[in-house]
Amino acid sequence: MAYPYRHPSEVRLLSEHFGNPEARTLKGWEARGGYTALRKSLGMSRGDIVNEVKASGLRGRGGAGFPTGVKWSFMPAYTGKPHYLLCNADESEPGTFKDRELMRWTPHALVEGCLIGAYAINAGHAYIYIRGEFFEAAQIVARAIEEAYAAGYAGKNVMGSGIDLDVTLHLGAGAYICGEETGLMNSLEGRRGEPRVKPPFPAVAGAFGKPSTINNVETLCVVPHLINNGGAWYKQWGTEKSTGTKLFCVSGHVQRPGNYEVPMGFNFKEFIYDMCGGPAPGRTIKAVIPGGSSVPIMTGDELDIGMDYEAMAAAGTMLGCGSVIVMDDTTDIVKQVRRMVDFYAHESCGQCTPCREGTAWAAKILRRIEAGWGNEADLQTLMDISDNMAGKTICVLSDAAAAPITSSIQKFREDYLALIRRGENLAAARIA
Amino acid sequence: MSNDESKVREIRPRNPGFAGIVGEFDLTEAQIRGTDYVGQRPRHGGHASVAGTMPYHVATRDASVPLFEGEYGERLEKVLSRYEDKQAALLPALHLAHEIRGYLSPDTMDQVAERLGIPPAYVRGVATFYTMYNLQPMGRYLIQVCTNISCNLCGGEDVLHAFVEQIGAEVGEVSANGLFTVIEVECLGACGFPTVVQINERFFENVKVDDVPAILERLTAEAALLPA
Repeated sequence: MAYPYRHPSEVRLLSEHFGNPEARTLKGWEARGGYTALRKSLGMSRGDIVNEVKASGLRGRGGAGFPTGVKWSFMPAYTGKPHYLLCNADESEPGTFKDRELMRWTPHALVEGCLIGAYAINAGHAYIYIRGEFFEAAQIVARAIEEAYAAGYAGKNVMGSGIDLDVTLHLGAGAYICGEETGLMNSLEGRRGEPRVKPPFPAVAGAFGKPSTINNVETLCVVPHLINNGGAWYKQWGTEKSTGTKLFCVSGHVQRPGNYEVPMGFNFKEFIYDMCGGPAPGRTIKAVIPGGSSVPIMTGDELDIGMDYEAMAAAGTMLGCGSVIVMDDTTDIVKQVRRMVDFYAHESCGQCTPCREGTAWAAKILRRIEAGWGNEADLQTLMDISDNMAGKTICVLSDAAAAPITSSIQKFREDYLALIRRGENLAAARIA
Repeated sequence: MSNDESKVREIRPRNPGFAGIVGEFDLTEAQIRGTDYVGQRPRHGGHASVAGTMPYHVATRDASVPLFEGEYGERLEKVLSRYEDKQAALLPALHLAHEIRGYLSPDTMDQVAERLGIPPAYVRGVATFYTMYNLQPMGRYLIQVCTNISCNLCGGEDVLHAFVEQIGAEVGEVSANGLFTVIEVECLGACGFPTVVQINERFFENVKVDDVPAILERLTAEAALLPA
């Protein structure tokens, strides 16, 4: 069940044990069926494991939604070089807090997922890169890893299979860009977390220049279930192209914020109003961001769609990592967009001119508009800056920065104009 | 339940020790934080696979303490054994140095560079890239208030201003008693529990403006029990 509020319409696959401290320990996890999948997968061939994951239709839960089985199949069969599995636990997307809950309530799910994933891609070592701010979650995962080693479920000769699988927990140090796959790899290597140009792709040359695969925490936590039940079992939930269940993080102006696990394709309006309790009494929903701050903003009228990758894309936005941020009618949209763009300007690694200059410039313009010194030409300038950022850089941080700008100007133009006109009136009064 | 107790429950319904709203669950702070499960982490880092992830004590804050000797040296050796390249130990080593010294002075960074065989300028480049490495001394408690969108929608900036007012120092400054520094940070990853405040290694969730005096009181009381 999700945390901290439960709802009968949820499908509690990953979140069954949220809020249950007994499920954290190795013994408690095994009593709940843990580590049977690892045992089973060590008796399977690597190809069979990848096929099960492919058959499930599982797509990466970190935001990009790339089919996980396909990603694993990109790993070369034999190069003589060590392979690495990387777990992206650098959860920094504003609005997202699902990985933290997975790590602090079910750390063994992640450890088991990493071990199975490492085996499947012929990796001897899995690195869990956890953001530096998550000390408490890191300590819980650290304990879980130590328990796994002590029980012989990690390290040399795992479960007597003759396979060696190591897991290392690596702490980040505060950088959103290290959640980008190649930025993470650079950070793991002890460098500035600046993303790399692709090609070469991680499966060819990733961490330490070796073939690597990187997966999100939630994705890896699903894997043991696929091994235990077969890949096709996962398709009983969700839509044809977005299978399974997903943890959605809800924050902002709702009565019951928290994590909820529902099948893909669940109706978004029902989700917000029924499951999460809707806005506070007497308020209406003005805007909703469905997938973390990097996706285009939706208005409160556009919510009657399914929560899956295809439906969201058709609606002009993205599912992203499923972090729903609800804004009611008391919200100052320009202020929130400014805050988001400030975030991107702060977190830009600075390599690419369009991002480094564009985010900073857009932030300055938005601050000026918010303070009442904007003019209508600024809106066109912001659209031009966004156009020059999106798709023109090494990574997609600039696309992410452009999304709230363009979508808010298109859908909430009146909010901007109201601030601009108010500013013009004040200026006129000052001059008169 | 007495009249006062029921009033307290009203103000902060089921929010045990600032571990966030527990909704429909009945959990203690220790259960939510997992402190029983984690226990006391050993100073030598425990198993090599996790030796690089100890809490951020700001413990000794003493410039003369040797960086990588004794138990800390053991921890660094364990960390080095987990990567195929020594450079990969740079972030863990900087965290370790940060823990011992309280912040990264140029001298500290040079010592890390020498120990790992990396050019000092490179270490500067890495240390300045990441926000968690403090390059100036901070108060004993680094109060990091999230003001990003989800917390902002729920009054994050008011919480920030409340902290600033009550510690009597500007954002980024150390308070007069040396105990507190308040900074504004980006999303801390607990958005369902606005406003999130991270103080050293601990998360305080669902912090409202009214909770700020109680938090500062609790920290001041704790500080009195710690060695200077």
